[in-house]
Amino acid sequence: MGSVKIKNMTKTFGDFTALHDINLDIEEGEFFALLGPSGCGKTTTMRCIAGFENPTSGSIYIGNREVEKIPANRRNCGMVFQSYALFPHMNVFENVAYSLNIKQLNASNPIKQMGIYARLLTKRFGKYPDDLKKKVMEILEYVELENHAERLTSELSGGQQQRVALARALVMEPAVLLMDEPLSNLDQKLRHSMRNTIRTIQQDLGITTIFVTHDQEEAMSMADRVAVMDKGQIVQIGTPTELYSNPSTPFIANFVGTSNILKGTVEGEENGFTVVKGEGFLLRSSTKAKKKEVDVIIRPEHVKVEAADSVIDHATTNVIEGTVIMSTYLGSIVRYDVQVGSYQLVVDTTYSSGANIFEEGKKVKLTVDHERVLLI
Amino acid sequence: MNRIKNSFNGLTVVKVLIYAFFGLFMLLPLLSVFVVSFTGEPTNLLGSLTDPAIFNSTLEKFKNISLDNYKRIFSGKGYFSALKNSLALAFTVTIIIILVCIPLAYGIARTKMPFKKTISALCMIPLIVPTFISAYAFIIMFGRAGWVTQIYNALGGEGMLLNPYSMAGVVAVQVFFFFPYALWPLVAAFKVSDISLEEASQNLGAKNWFTFIFVTFPLALPGVISSALLIFTVSFSDFGSPIVLAPKELNLLVVEAYREISGFFNWGGAAILTVVMVIVAAFFFYLQHLYTKGKNYGSVSGKPKQQKLIENKLLTRVLSGYSLFVVLIPLLAMLSVALQSVATTWGKDLLPSGYTLNHYKTIFSTSMGNIQNSIMLATGALVLSVIIATFVSYFVVRQNSAKLDFIASIPLVVPGIAFGIALIQTFNTMPLQLTGTAVLLIIAYTIRRLPYMVRSTMGSMRAIKQDIEEAAVNLGATPLTAAITIVGPLMLPGIAAGSVLVFITVIKEASVSILLAPPEWAPMSLAIFQNILRAEYYSAAAMSVVLVVLVLVLQGIANIIGKKQRL
Repeated sequence: MGSVKIKNMTKTFGDFTALHDINLDIEEGEFFALLGPSGCGKTTTMRCIAGFENPTSGSIYIGNREVEKIPANRRNCGMVFQSYALFPHMNVFENVAYSLNIKQLNASNPIKQMGIYARLLTKRFGKYPDDLKKKVMEILEYVELENHAERLTSELSGGQQQRVALARALVMEPAVLLMDEPLSNLDQKLRHSMRNTIRTIQQDLGITTIFVTHDQEEAMSMADRVAVMDKGQIVQIGTPTELYSNPSTPFIANFVGTSNILKGTVEGEENGFTVVKGEGFLLRSSTKAKKKEVDVIIRPEHVKVEAADSVIDHATTNVIEGTVIMSTYLGSIVRYDVQVGSYQLVVDTTYSSGANIFEEGKKVKLTVDHERVLLI
Repeated sequence: MNRIKNSFNGLTVVKVLIYAFFGLFMLLPLLSVFVVSFTGEPTNLLGSLTDPAIFNSTLEKFKNISLDNYKRIFSGKGYFSALKNSLALAFTVTIIIILVCIPLAYGIARTKMPFKKTISALCMIPLIVPTFISAYAFIIMFGRAGWVTQIYNALGGEGMLLNPYSMAGVVAVQVFFFFPYALWPLVAAFKVSDISLEEASQNLGAKNWFTFIFVTFPLALPGVISSALLIFTVSFSDFGSPIVLAPKELNLLVVEAYREISGFFNWGGAAILTVVMVIVAAFFFYLQHLYTKGKNYGSVSGKPKQQKLIENKLLTRVLSGYSLFVVLIPLLAMLSVALQSVATTWGKDLLPSGYTLNHYKTIFSTSMGNIQNSIMLATGALVLSVIIATFVSYFVVRQNSAKLDFIASIPLVVPGIAFGIALIQTFNTMPLQLTGTAVLLIIAYTIRRLPYMVRSTMGSMRAIKQDIEEAAVNLGATPLTAAITIVGPLMLPGIAAGSVLVFITVIKEASVSILLAPPEWAPMSLAIFQNILRAEYYSAAAMSVVLVVLVLVLQGIANIIGKKQRL
C-alpha cells in the first residue's frame, strides 16, 4: 500500500499540452477520483502513474519510491481498464492467476521458467502450485466468482467481467489500484450496485485507489476526495461536499451538480452582507467578494418558489420576482424554469402530494437565503 | 545510462536481430549484385568488413568500375533481346489474360450461368500446380507425340497445333495457369460496381452491349488495370515455364540469367540481368501499388446491394461454354500428367499402351529422400517465417515501424531467380560461406515467402487491442513476456493460415530450389525439373502427382482450420 504524490507533472504530445503542471498528494488508503470532461487529461494522468506514458517533466512517487525510471511492469499498480482488457484466450482462473505466474516466472531459474511458460500457453500442462491456486480462489470468492473459475471470460455478463478485472488487479496486492472509467460499460442498474461493491472492497482492503470518471455523480458518491480537471489542469481538489458547497470556479459549479450562474456587480456592503446587482435582480450574499465583477452561483434546490402575493421577510432572505416559463414534474421534485430579467433560473422544489404546482405564465416570488448565494 | 538500460529490453534485441537478418540475407545480397553489375567480377562486400586484404582487393575492383555491362544490355543482341523478349512475353500474356478473364469474370459475377460453382472450383487448379509442371503437362498434350497433336493430325491438320517449345507455348502455359490471379480481382470489380447505373443506362434506351461497353466496363476498369499490372509482374518473374519450354534461340531474362550463372559462371552478366529484372518487376509492382492506392474500386458502400443476376438463356449458355473451355485446359493438363504417371509407354497412340504403378514404386523407393527434403525444408522455412513474421507484424502494428513494413515487402518485387543469384554471389566465399547448404536454401525460401506470412499475421495483430497487452504489462509481464504469452496465442489463427500458404508455396518453388539446392538436399521440385531435363518423363509425372496431392491435402487442412476458426 502506498501514497501517491505527483509534483509539477507536465505532458506534451508534439505541440499539444495534455497535462500542465499537475500536483497531487493522495494519501495512503484514500479513494481518490479524477473527474473531468473527456479530453481533460484525467486518463493521461492515470497512464503516467501506471507507466504507460512518460511525463515530459515533473516527478511521480508511489510510496516513497520515485517511479519515473521504473518500467510499467515493475510499478505494482493494479489497473482496471475501461474495456476490462481480459485475456480472451484464458478462462477466469487463468486471467486472475496471470500476475502470480509472472511473479513466479521472474523468481525462477530457466528450467522452471519453461514450465511456467507451458502453463501460461497451454491448458494441458497447467499444473498450478497449491498456494497459487488457493490465492486465486480466495480472491475469486471475494468477488463472488468462485463458481465461474473455469468459464471463458466471453461467457460472462458485463458485471462479472468487471469483477474479474478487479480480482485480477487485486490479486497482485498492488501498491495502488487504478480504475479507468470502470463503470462506463455497465447499464444503469448494475452501475449502482457496482459502485457499492467497489467502495466496500476499497474500504475493506484499505487500498489506495485512483478512479477516473467523467460522471460527477459517480465521483461524488464514491470518492473521499475529488480532483476536478479541465483542459489538462487541475481546477480544484476537495471532498465532495467542499466541491459542492464551495466551487472555486463557475466551471466546477456547473460540472459538480446543476447551478444557476448569473453575472453581477458588487455594489457595496450592508449589515455584513455583500450587495450584488445584475440584470433584473438585487441580491445580498454572506460571501465576501474578492473583486467587483463576480459570478453569482445559486443551486436550484436552495431556491423556494412562493406566490406573487405572499409576504416575505426581506431581512433574512433574498426575494426575486419572476415568471414561470415551464414546470416539469419529476416525481419527488418539481423543476421550474423561471424568467428573471434576462436569465432563466432553474429551481427545484420538493413536491408533497396535493401541493400546488405553479402554472406556466404565472408571476412568482423566488426566495434564497443570504448564505446560499455564492460569489466567485 | 539508466535510460539506455531501460530502452534496451528484450523486444529491442529482437528488433535488432530482425533488421540484421534482413540486412544480411536480403539487402546485402541485392546491394552486392548491384555492385557486381558494375565491377563485372565477384565482390566480397561482407569479407571487406572483416578482412583488410579482401577490403583492398575490393577497392581495387572499385577502380575498375565500368558501365560495360550496362552498355551490353542496350547495344548488341544478347541481353537486349532477352529484355525485349521478356517484356514482350509479359505484355502478351497480360493482354490475353485480361481478354480471356473479362467474359469469365462477368459470367461469375453477374449471371446465373450453368455450372458456375464447378467453374469457380476448377479455377483453383492453376493456383495449386507449379508452373514447371504445367509447362511439362503442355508438352504431353501439345508436343510432337502429344495426344492433342494426334487428334489434330487425325482431323487433317499438319504438324503441331501449338508448338510448346516456342514463345507461343510459354504464352499459352502462362495464360492458362496465371489467369486466376486476374480473375478474382475482376470478379470483385464487377460485383461492386453499382448496378443502378446500368439500369439507368438501360432505362435511357441503351442496348445491353452498349451498356456493357460504356457503363459496366469503365466502372470495372480500375480492377482491370490493377490486375493487369499484377499479371505483368507475375509473368515477367516466372521461371518455371520458360526454363522448361523456351528453346535455345528464344532469349528470356530469367533463362539467360540462369544460364550465365549455372553454365558459365559469368558473375557480371548474371548481376546485370538480375538488376534489370528487379528494376522492371519493382517498377510494375510500384505502378500497381500507386494505382490501387488512389482508387477504392468505385462505388463500394457498407450497404449490401441486392444484385439482379442476368438469366438470359443464350448469353449464359455461351458464357458457360466458354468458361468451361478455359478451365478445362488446366484440368486436362493435370489429367495428362496423372495418366502419364501410370502409363507403361505413351506416345505413339492417343492413349498409353499399358498401365502400371511401377513409376510410383520407383519414386517411393529411390526418391523418397526428395519428398523428405521438401517437407523438411518447407518446415524449416515455415518455423523461421512464423517467428520473423510474428515479430515484424508486432513492430509494424504496435510501434508503427513503417521501415520494417517496407523492408518485409521487398521480396514481393524480387523475382526468385534474381534473389537466388544474389544469394549465391554473396555467400559463396568466406567469411560466411553458405552457398550449397540447406541453411541458405531455407533462408531463401523464408525471405521469398515472408510477405504472405506477414500479411496474414498482421491482420490478426490488428485485431488485438492495445489495452490487452497493456494489461499484461500492468500485471508485471515484460513486453517480451506479454508478446509470448498474450499476443502470440491470440495470433494463432493468422499464423496457421499463413503457415499453410508458406508451406505450399515453398514446396512449389522452382527458381530458388534449382539455383540453390545442393544435391543432398534436393527437394521434389528440383527432382522433377532434373527428370524433365533428363527426359525421364514417367518418374517426373509420378513425382508431380505426389507433389500436387501433397499440396491439395495441405490446402484441405487449411480449409478445415479456416472453417473451425469461423465457428
